[in-house]
Amino acid sequence: MATRDLPPPPLVALAGWILPGSGYWLIGQRSRGITIGITIIILFALGILVAGVRCVEAPDMQAEGSIISRVLQRPWFLGQALAGPIGLGSAYASDAASKSPVYKNIQSKSRIAEIGTLYTAVAGMLNLLAIIDSAHRAGNHGNR
Amino acid sequence: MSFAAAPSLLALISNNSLSAGYVPFIYPLPIWNYWPWLILPLAAGVSIVYKAVKCQSMSTVPKEAATIFVWILIGMLTASAALAGVVKIVVER
Repeated sequence: MATRDLPPPPLVALAGWILPGSGYWLIGQRSRGITIGITIIILFALGILVAGVRCVEAPDMQAEGSIISRVLQRPWFLGQALAGPIGLGSAYASDAASKSPVYKNIQSKSRIAEIGTLYTAVAGMLNLLAIIDSAHRAGNHGNR
Repeated sequence: MSFAAAPSLLALISNNSLSAGYVPFIYPLPIWNYWPWLILPLAAGVSIVYKAVKCQSMSTVPKEAATIFVWILIGMLTASAALAGVVKIVVER
């Protein structure tokens, strides 16, 4: 494996969060980055395709109670947000859809909603795995 | 609905419910009777990412991911059979 100077691990981790797989790209492991990035994005997109964008819902931060209790109302959003801006953008689009006069009543229920939530949250958690691994490799000359 | 009885994806695509009025990514897909099949892409995605992270060489990833994909399916089928057995024996008796 290459021993050249690699970007600092925090930068690699941030890049991996912004675009899944790009952390590996920064440290020169492009095929690994493309494989992981495309797979994570497809999983996330498939979850939204199956259940609709409203399966990604951010916690209501205007609600009563502590921050922890508000976040725990929708704990799966922690996983979804780990997918990066696509997770946050989906939450924004979901909020817009819930306020839209045309689409506000369009929301998946029960099993289909659970499957969409599962897909999107698993995609985010797999991205966390990739972020940690790519940052570790950046600090270890590209090796695990 | 059993896996064996589930219609093909082609039948789903030609279904009228996917015609006018459907907006991708806003409306849920009308797959109420096909949901068990959704384990396949999820298991494939988890297998690919996990093995791409774990393997030192990317050339070994396809074979390793295919192996773990099959093991995930075997595990899920075993777990579902065991849970179905518990429901039949304990709950429905």
